[in-house]
Amino acid sequence: MKRILAVTLPLLASMALVLLLGASLWSIAGSQTPVNLPELLAGKMNESGVNHPVTAVLLNFRSYDTLLEIAVLVIAGITGISMARTASLEDPELRTSDSLLYALQRWFIPLMLLLAGYLLWAGADRPGGAFQAGAVLAGCGVLMRLGGIPLGFLRPGLLLRVGLGLGFAVFLLVAVLSAMAGEAFLAYPPGMTKPLIITIETVLTFSIAMVLLALFVSAPVNDAGAPGEDDS
Amino acid sequence: MITAWLMAGLLFTPLAWAVLCLLLDFSRGRLVSCLGITVQVLVSLGLWVAVAREGGFLYGLGGWEAPLGIELRVDGLAVTFILLTAIVAGACGLHASVYLAPDNAWYRYFWPLFWFLWAGLNGVWLGGDLFNLYVGLELLSLSAVGLVALGGGINALRASLRYLLAALLGSMAYLLGVALMYGQFGTLSIAGIASLLPETQALVGPGMAMALMLSGLALKTALFPLHGWLPPAHGIAKSPVSALLSALVVKASFYIAARLWLEFGHELGSTAVAQLIGGLGGAAVIWGSWLACRQSQLKQVVAYSSVAQIGYLFLLFPLTFAVSDTASLQAQQGMTLQVVSHALAKAAMFLAAGNLILATGSHQVAGLAGVSHFLPFSLFSFGLAGVSLMGMPPSGGFAAKWMLLQASLASGQWWWIVVLVAGSLLSAAYVFRIYQASFVAKTGVDDFYHPPGSLEVIPLLLALMSLGLALVAEPLLSVMALSLETGGAP
Repeated sequence: MKRILAVTLPLLASMALVLLLGASLWSIAGSQTPVNLPELLAGKMNESGVNHPVTAVLLNFRSYDTLLEIAVLVIAGITGISMARTASLEDPELRTSDSLLYALQRWFIPLMLLLAGYLLWAGADRPGGAFQAGAVLAGCGVLMRLGGIPLGFLRPGLLLRVGLGLGFAVFLLVAVLSAMAGEAFLAYPPGMTKPLIITIETVLTFSIAMVLLALFVSAPVNDAGAPGEDDS
Repeated sequence: MITAWLMAGLLFTPLAWAVLCLLLDFSRGRLVSCLGITVQVLVSLGLWVAVAREGGFLYGLGGWEAPLGIELRVDGLAVTFILLTAIVAGACGLHASVYLAPDNAWYRYFWPLFWFLWAGLNGVWLGGDLFNLYVGLELLSLSAVGLVALGGGINALRASLRYLLAALLGSMAYLLGVALMYGQFGTLSIAGIASLLPETQALVGPGMAMALMLSGLALKTALFPLHGWLPPAHGIAKSPVSALLSALVVKASFYIAARLWLEFGHELGSTAVAQLIGGLGGAAVIWGSWLACRQSQLKQVVAYSSVAQIGYLFLLFPLTFAVSDTASLQAQQGMTLQVVSHALAKAAMFLAAGNLILATGSHQVAGLAGVSHFLPFSLFSFGLAGVSLMGMPPSGGFAAKWMLLQASLASGQWWWIVVLVAGSLLSAAYVFRIYQASFVAKTGVDDFYHPPGSLEVIPLLLALMSLGLALVAEPLLSVMALSLETGGAP
């Protein structure tokens, strides 16, 4: 009886939620939105410095959101490495030394690096950008790591922390410097928009890849435990 | 112009300090952070004075105005909470700089997470955009989860993972609501949606969105019966972290829920919903206090007391729905005072509890036996904070409950008075229980560790502030009431 209830109740609740969501979506689809944001965006595109609306929103119109999102990624990276045992980052048992994988890598890695570069560049006028390029770059790193190539910079030292914070720091610096130049915060000075956005995107790609890679490499548990409050 | 610089200092100092501290170790991070705390307190005070003088204003980031860009809303309530954050987070940071052992390699990550947490809090208080608030909440939740897990063993990891899952579920529900709102109105600005709502015919979509957002936020605020994640997480974290979480982090999600209710509640709420939320708040007060009386561990008592005190905040919902303007204003003032006084009192309580645990080396309430004789100082701070939680005059807790009481009477909802009285009696019971344990004479020898004086002074100052809050309630409430309409925007 209890088991049946444990299955039926969540099922009924989810079905009710889906029905309600469906009803509200139906109602929303039937009405015109009073504010037409895409049109407003299209009108301001020539001031944005890039040609793709998504990149324009992410790095110009709502750049504050993006800045904070990068901060969230950095936090995830910090939390990940803060819980890693130092030794496990260099654990040789976790590496494979498969000769086929190694041979394949010599073909794949350059291609993947090229793809990451392309995605970064494509962000200006078609889908792409720092997040996608960073993900590909991180995938590249995962492959290298699994293939037994030592990635020394992933040791939890200063270099790793600089890498994690670099993209965020450059973004923040641009925001602050733009204010000193007399514009509002996060407002790019006229004429500088495109080079600044490209600089930010490039360092962001690098840092996003670092965060993802650091999360992959760091082991989740430290069983050493700090003395003090948690031994209850 | 000066206000724009203050704003920028407020938002970007914590972020810059986070990056800076990421590169340093714990001891150097401590030096840098003390400087940062000073800057933040001064900037927050400056902004508070500026708003008190000239009224609130809107600040478009990147030079773009809503709905295309993100607008921050700097009004009386926001600056009050910013100042509160500066005081409480500053105190917790200073306490942590002495409390945490500098030779522990993990604590190097404390300062970056601490500053990101602060940035998230400031972002939430100022947010005037639904999606921006979501990002602020994420910043806050993830750094809070990181802080709970920091340097802890398997138990801390378990509690923080539970916290993470609850927080993520809450965020997802909120985000779904935001998406529905955007689908209906085509804008994310709260003020924009509020001005469009009265003309909207089809309220099914926005109503569903409101329900999703409020349930997500209730989960993140640990409203009864969704409070299960809070006591383990707040109980196991290091004491300065527990203080930050209980005093400030849970208030952020409540603040968003309150803002949404006050802006959209007239059109999207109903008496049934308002009474339901108030009822859950009332149940939280009773149930949380009752469980606090029954805990055997000191920090669990304080954590369950947070569940109870959060319950009072949710009385805002029924007390502002379909009532007279005076009753609604009283309820809002009561809510603000409750947030401020609980933040000060609970931070003091957790920091004092941390000192007591440090002194006795035991997490149990029973382990406090004999401590009153040799360590009266931390126990005194704990008791002063308790006075505010019980709601005895002239504490901030008293002023808050008095306002809520008047609002209940003015709106004819007498049943909330039962909750207020029962909650106060039960909180007196759990505070006295701690005292009873500490006055048990053990042996005549002082074998307790004596924490450094700075650790004892910080909770005492916070407790005194919470105690004297009612004396400065008048100027505080007059600034809080400064909305955008009354002040001239620059």
